[in-house]
Amino acid sequence: MFLIRFTEQALVELYLKHKIMSFVHFYVGQEAVAVGVCNNLRKEDRVLGNHRSHGHYLAKGGDLRAMISELLGKEGGSSKGKGGSMHMIDTSVNFIGSTPILGSVVPLASGAAFEQKYNKRKDITAVFFGDGAFEEGVVYETLNLSALFALPLLFVVENNLYSVNSTLKERRSANHNVEKIVTGFGVTYLKADGNDYEDVFEKARMLTKGIRAGAGPAVLECMTYRHMAHSAPIFDDAAGYRQEDPLERRLERDPIKKVRRSLLESGIPENTLVTLEEKIRTSVAESIQCAVDAPYPKKETLYTNLYA
Amino acid sequence: MRLIRKKKLSIPIYMPERIIKYSEAIQEATDQMMGADPRVFIIGLGVSYPKGADGTTAGLKSTYPERVFDVSVSEHGFTGMAVGAAINGLHPIVHHGRVEFSLLAADQIFTQAAKWNYMFGGGHPVPIVFRINVGRQWGNGPQHTQALYALFGNVPGLKVVIPSSPKMAKGLLVSALKDKNPVVMLEPRWLFNIKQNVPVQLFSEPLDKAVIIKEGAEVTVVAYGDGLFSARESLALVGDTVDIELIDIVSINPIDYKTIFQSVKKTGRLLCVDTTNGAFNVGSEVIAQVARNKSIKLKSNPVALSCPNVPCPTSTALTEFFYPTKVDIANALLSTFKKPLINQTLSFEELHLAPTDTIQ
Ligand SMILES: Cc1ncc(C[n+]2csc(CCOP(=O)(O)OP(=O)(O)O)c2C)c(N)n1
Ligand SMILES: [Mg+2]
Repeated sequence: MFLIRFTEQALVELYLKHKIMSFVHFYVGQEAVAVGVCNNLRKEDRVLGNHRSHGHYLAKGGDLRAMISELLGKEGGSSKGKGGSMHMIDTSVNFIGSTPILGSVVPLASGAAFEQKYNKRKDITAVFFGDGAFEEGVVYETLNLSALFALPLLFVVENNLYSVNSTLKERRSANHNVEKIVTGFGVTYLKADGNDYEDVFEKARMLTKGIRAGAGPAVLECMTYRHMAHSAPIFDDAAGYRQEDPLERRLERDPIKKVRRSLLESGIPENTLVTLEEKIRTSVAESIQCAVDAPYPKKETLYTNLYA
Repeated sequence: MRLIRKKKLSIPIYMPERIIKYSEAIQEATDQMMGADPRVFIIGLGVSYPKGADGTTAGLKSTYPERVFDVSVSEHGFTGMAVGAAINGLHPIVHHGRVEFSLLAADQIFTQAAKWNYMFGGGHPVPIVFRINVGRQWGNGPQHTQALYALFGNVPGLKVVIPSSPKMAKGLLVSALKDKNPVVMLEPRWLFNIKQNVPVQLFSEPLDKAVIIKEGAEVTVVAYGDGLFSARESLALVGDTVDIELIDIVSINPIDYKTIFQSVKKTGRLLCVDTTNGAFNVGSEVIAQVARNKSIKLKSNPVALSCPNVPCPTSTALTEFFYPTKVDIANALLSTFKKPLINQTLSFEELHLAPTDTIQ
């Protein structure tokens, strides 16, 4: 969680210095979801994500340097500069890919789970997507399909109350009931406090256990806040649309603060924590420097990789 | 103040110079047409925001609170709902912030709206405007920059226009909202900040007519949208060396071949500029039709400029080579006439940041 937060904080600075020529959707505030879920996954388990996937990628163990290089459009990026921030991938840790076309990744994840079942693997797949993407028809088709085939698939819905600047109220009727919809498909449903690492971890643990045991797909809806603007490296409270999640509430419920508090309460001395934080910050700074110094892709590579 | 001669009036009247952006011109056309026609409403993701849809729907929610609909992230659903509303007498504007998002509603656009009147034997109009944004901007990458113009040109039953300037954007949108058919307006994102003097009052531009931007005798250049913008810029680079006739194709469904054939007959040379992949694009269609026309005798092989047949990557180190630039166009023209080529390197800004120029 600290790694994700510190990386993005450093990226904000970099972005503001105009070095990032790639759309960036920051994950700040939602870290407990990625980490709470991924800490229940093994290396062989698969993860797919969306446009806001720096956190999912790092939580699954994706390579930091390759990620930053990708954001900077460098040759050594995880997609050789072709993808950018909205297209994270590190198949060495089974982070299968992330794409920004909302909802599209959900059936793809069911395909990953389909393969696991088809080849009788013991592994599972988790797919991260937002409350906005949860309104695409294909997600409901996939809920049905994955229940039909009893796929080893965990749908992780990160409900941060917004799709860009549109609140849930502007997109759903007052009677909308996610739990009823999901369970109506015959899919298990749990809701977690997405600002609370322990709650996410515990509920993801229960669900992944069931999925591994062959109980079929499940949805974990995590209620959380996106701290920053939809796709810019700024806090947009001044714009006035944040009616649902004012700054004080976000900061008070900041998952990082909460984790820090419980680490201290569990007996870890403050200075151990500070040393650890420093270590993470240093490694982030090193990775950034390394990516900044790295070469850009050569012109010829524009034409490569079209076919496998 | 500047003297402007209004078309229908014989006396010249004074009109204030009014330079506005492409996005503002779209907003203004929408505002004025919503004022004129209560059947018009707009639906799409974020269209109700204060600066909605990249400014193209700015402020409309407060003027028409009951007719501007932000909506759930459900393209297939809300596009189909709008098509159904059009069949039943309303005149919706459906906005898709990227052409890729509209593909989730491909069935509704291509297979339902485009076929409805024909397959029921006529008399069943579908008056609807699909405003679809075509991405081009640094950092957008393979899934936000597909320039799928030709895809829309390929489907009979749709009228498909590509505004190349603020004035065209306003005039074409007004025409689209007066038409009884499904009109797709493909809006190159690259042009949203260019400016022009645009008449304040309602006016329309024909949906099916190409426009001759500059007359010339030696070579016909056919372009549209952001490619036309670069072609305009190339005029200055080429100067008097070559006498260019520049045509804005405006509509790719149907294509105004009358204007194009007439021009090529005169010049005997043809260059087409596309900002999409080379295969199956607008230029290849135009060149094919010119080649089939027995009354046209070409003096040299037609030339086509376009993007390479790969997705548009994300890194600016690669997109630098992706789109045909004003220098590429100028040099293609100069080499046709065996003139010395221009050696000009474009700045990072010129290559990667959307233009903010004011055009004539
Ligand atoms: C099919 C499709 N429609 C629209 C968009 C534009 N868009 C990008 S992100 C976004 C908001 C998505 O909200 P949500 O899924 O809740 O994720 P969040 O950004 O809140 O993390 C929208 C509408 C898109 N990328 N894809
Ligand atoms: Mg959301």
